[in-house]
Amino acid sequence: MSRISAVLLCLLLGGCGGAPDGKVHVSYWEKWTGAEGEAMQKVVDQFNRRQDKIVVEYLGISDLARKTLIATAGGDPPDVAGIWLANTYTFADLNALVPLDDFIRGEGTTPEKWAERYDPVYGDMGVYRGATWAVPSTPSVAVLYWNKAMFRAAGLDPEHPPRTLAELDDMAEKLTKRDPQTGDITQLGFLPQEPGWFAWAFPQWFGGRLWDGQEITIGTAPGNLECYQWVQKYTEKYGLEPIKAFTSGFGNFASPQNPFFSAQIAMVFQGVWLNNYIRQFAPGMEYGCAPWPAVKPELADFADAEADMLAIPRGAKHPKEAWEFIKFVSSLNPQARSQKELLGMELLCFLQEKNSPLRQWSPFFEQHHPHPYIELFRRLAQSPHAVHTPKIGIWEEFASEQGEVFEKVRLLMEPPAAALAFCQGRVAERWAEHRRSLARHGLYAGTAAPQSSAAEGHPFP
Amino acid sequence: MKPRSAVNRFLVYALLLGGSAVFLFPLVWMICTSLKPVEQTMTLPLTWLPRAFYAVVDGRRMEVTRDYRIEQPSVIVVPNEGPTAGKRALLPAAAFDRQKGLAHIQLFEDGLPVEKPIAATLIKDVAPGWWHVTEFSATHVRAHELSWDVVPESALEARIRPRWENYPNALATMGGRSLEEVEGSVERRGTGVSEDTVVSFRTFLRNTLFVCVLGVIGSVLSNALIAYGFTRVRWRGRNTLFALTLATMMVPFPVLMVPLYGVFKTLGWIGTLKPLWVPAFFGSAFNIFLMRQFFRTIPEELSEAARIDGCSEWGIFWRIILPLSWPVLAVVALFHFLWAWNDFMGPLLYLTRKHTFTLALALQNYQSQHGGVQWHLLMAASAVVVMPIIILFFFTQKTFIRGIATTGIKG
Amino acid sequence: MTSREKHDLRCGLAFCAPWFIGLGVFMMYPVVASLFYSFCDYSVLQSPVWIGLENYHRMAGDAVFWQSLKNTLFYAALSLPLGMIVSLLLAMLLNTQVRGMTVFRVIFYLPAIIPIVAGSMLWLWIFNGQYGLLNWALRPILGVLGQAPPTWLADPAWAKPALVLMSLWGVGNSMVIYLAGLQDVPKELYESAEIDGANWWGRLWYITLPMISPVIYFNLIMGIIGTLQVFTQVFVMTGGAEGAPARSTLFYALYLFSTAFYDLRMGYASAMAWVLFVLIVALTILATKLTEKWVYYSG
Repeated sequence: MSRISAVLLCLLLGGCGGAPDGKVHVSYWEKWTGAEGEAMQKVVDQFNRRQDKIVVEYLGISDLARKTLIATAGGDPPDVAGIWLANTYTFADLNALVPLDDFIRGEGTTPEKWAERYDPVYGDMGVYRGATWAVPSTPSVAVLYWNKAMFRAAGLDPEHPPRTLAELDDMAEKLTKRDPQTGDITQLGFLPQEPGWFAWAFPQWFGGRLWDGQEITIGTAPGNLECYQWVQKYTEKYGLEPIKAFTSGFGNFASPQNPFFSAQIAMVFQGVWLNNYIRQFAPGMEYGCAPWPAVKPELADFADAEADMLAIPRGAKHPKEAWEFIKFVSSLNPQARSQKELLGMELLCFLQEKNSPLRQWSPFFEQHHPHPYIELFRRLAQSPHAVHTPKIGIWEEFASEQGEVFEKVRLLMEPPAAALAFCQGRVAERWAEHRRSLARHGLYAGTAAPQSSAAEGHPFP
Repeated sequence: MKPRSAVNRFLVYALLLGGSAVFLFPLVWMICTSLKPVEQTMTLPLTWLPRAFYAVVDGRRMEVTRDYRIEQPSVIVVPNEGPTAGKRALLPAAAFDRQKGLAHIQLFEDGLPVEKPIAATLIKDVAPGWWHVTEFSATHVRAHELSWDVVPESALEARIRPRWENYPNALATMGGRSLEEVEGSVERRGTGVSEDTVVSFRTFLRNTLFVCVLGVIGSVLSNALIAYGFTRVRWRGRNTLFALTLATMMVPFPVLMVPLYGVFKTLGWIGTLKPLWVPAFFGSAFNIFLMRQFFRTIPEELSEAARIDGCSEWGIFWRIILPLSWPVLAVVALFHFLWAWNDFMGPLLYLTRKHTFTLALALQNYQSQHGGVQWHLLMAASAVVVMPIIILFFFTQKTFIRGIATTGIKG
Repeated sequence: MTSREKHDLRCGLAFCAPWFIGLGVFMMYPVVASLFYSFCDYSVLQSPVWIGLENYHRMAGDAVFWQSLKNTLFYAALSLPLGMIVSLLLAMLLNTQVRGMTVFRVIFYLPAIIPIVAGSMLWLWIFNGQYGLLNWALRPILGVLGQAPPTWLADPAWAKPALVLMSLWGVGNSMVIYLAGLQDVPKELYESAEIDGANWWGRLWYITLPMISPVIYFNLIMGIIGTLQVFTQVFVMTGGAEGAPARSTLFYALYLFSTAFYDLRMGYASAMAWVLFVLIVALTILATKLTEKWVYYSG
């Protein structure tokens, strides 16, 4: 009996023996699997090998944001969480993250100086309501990819992508082919909904705004209406049914039947990762990358910027050690001249074939990056017209309402003005509710956090 | 009631057999699916028995998988030139010009699809109804390295072969490994790999048994004690408290869910198995009720006699009442074990790390693990989770049924 | 109090001690706390803030809440009567004296103890639109009528009926309770009825049903409490708390769960829980009042 109770007691107390190697084990939950996950694993390995006090344990899981939030709510979160930018503001409003400012100050610098390591749009991303809640890990910028062979076949100069919106519409028209007998579309120049991942940025591309820091402006800012009218125009031009029929034959994104890879559509907005996929599924394809065509001349070099972030959930058991790892990932070896010498952020972005959000690039990273157009991404990230996700704690719901506007307009179900007004009403109500809740918990300062206009990207004063 | 006439008897048997078939079919289907290779789970028409097909391919007789039936007259050709020279290709007969020996194969050039005629040699003609078969490979060898051919139905030999390997494969992949890793063709390396990356089935089983066994111990002990206090000892306020106990059976779990979560969070138990078995040590209204019913049937004289003999209340409980109560103790133990084994919502709420998962949660997690659902593996895993309960049931039928019946009669 | 009474009080309290914690910590505290939370803005990461009836106001105007309630009531309205009838008929069938009855009883009871997660996986597979067992059986039958079988869980109109169908497979528990009740009916009643010339239907209506009416009542109450809280099957079979497709399977417990643990709106979820509680109590009282007249307790 006593032996059994001893075993039971041991089990009850949570296992006999703690971490046997005396090191601090930091748990790191990330969303990446496959090749991107392996890239991060290499950075984790690099960190683990460089010192012997901390071991970071990498775990790639599905549904990361939800699982992290639940674990944080339960008091058992990971030490580092690789959330999306969009989650950052929601989590901060829910008091689910630990601000990083004290850690930054512990490095002997200020949060403002810390933000200056990055390109302006990335340095500003994680700053919200006066604190730094997360720092970027890998950035994502979208540009216009165009298929040079299709340009050539249509009689257009393959080295001349559209530079203005008018040129975009015009070239799209020339690149669209129809079957002479049935009238079915056989090739499209451009379609706003393909792939539609960056449609949230379209209003700002037109100089509009989703949120001015205090109030919801999706239904009120000029430029938003113009944007959705342009979206509607595309469906009207080509016809709803022909478009539906044509797009239903599109294959999966990650396959040779991707509409851009299989020459069904000539121009798409896509992220920096597309080069990797082109190499896998459409090797030898002739393509180019261009900035977003300017809607108005003064809004040239528009770019949408998002990023994967690294944050420390509230209740993490090893926040100091978590910060050490985050700091490492946010650093680089400025003198790296070979792949072996790449460190931290640059190793990660090199392996994932993305641009680095840091201002400084090592010589090797600059000259030997696998993406042929990486300089364009860098330039756009530094553009004063680069915008990122609005810093609003209800972004998921906002995005979903905005997505509805896009769907209604492109499916010709509602005129743009009506759809925008409906969206404005719903989101404004939800925002008022959320603001009340924030005020109750003492989190809302009553005024918006100071935002640099470069980061928000709004060209209006 | 004994059926009077033969017609009645026949009817009863017919209904019983028909009903049994309907009730058993799903379980039988689960086992059938679990023994099939993956391509036979998703074919029409449905087959019940897993089969293995054999045919002569590339001059060798080997096991093959049946991929699809040829719909139109086709040909197999080998291109003499071009990027795919030397590789056999299957084309519609209309795409091959016999006289000129030219095949129209689609290629990609400059990122644009083109169709070019290529000189090719005819290997054989293929008629509609023939099967495209591929060499069977138990491991995940790259598809283009496998031999394939198109053969008539008559050239295929079918044998029934249950794929028992689905079971070890399912158990091995349940915790997060992919089939490739299980076969050893891919290796997972790196420093600091989280213990949640790969969890073994044994861990899930151990967690579940831990929660079940501890829960049973706690349940039996605590409820026996409490029911004794309610039944065999007369004290002031007893009946009011019991009425309150009965009333609590009406409270739905969602009402308790959020504050309970808060309690466990304050105790720091979220993420551990404790919330799943510790509450069993503090009684449950239902089991108190069950035990009370039983204790009331034990004659009071026994207790009185023992008290006169100087026995303490605890002594009466431990030495007299408890040994007499085996039937109800067995029922409570069984019920709790079954409930704990099957419990899903508790683990879903309280467990955050995969290495703490119980079988129920691990099974649900397995479903969403890989891109698409692999039904044969999922059914195998489900069968493994179900089997112990069915075995337990066969050994303890009478107790089971008696227990359920008791709840209904006096309820 | 006499010393004997004092002694008994101490004994009673000592034996019932675990229950005081059980009742207090795991039952009474949560009941009171959740009532309090229902009037608060509470996410477990921040302290609760009193907001009065705002949660309840929001509930009244929340279209998703009403949808979830409707879904649950629809399911209960189908599943409860059907389940009771099926389990009673099966119990009656199993009450006949034929050879091998034990085997049959086991077969019919078995599905009720299958772990719900495993059973849900199995039925998810059976309901598969293309390769599922059910449609394989239905296709030829419906083909005669020129119809195709529904895609069950992928079709908003057929998802709930699919869940009802699955619930009928697991009627074992109530079936066994009916069986026990049937066996308690004194045989003399049947014999004297036969002598009086009653046929099968007469025996059923005038003897069986009244004699097992307490059991019917018990199963009805248990059924109400159970079907309004259904969670696991729906969660597993519709891939999480979304209520796909098109929120047709967003049941009350599911919406409650996602509000509490995905949105971290625990005050709102507590309000929903109390509404459910009140609903269950109300339905139970209603059921009791309606059936009072014909529930017959034979001593």
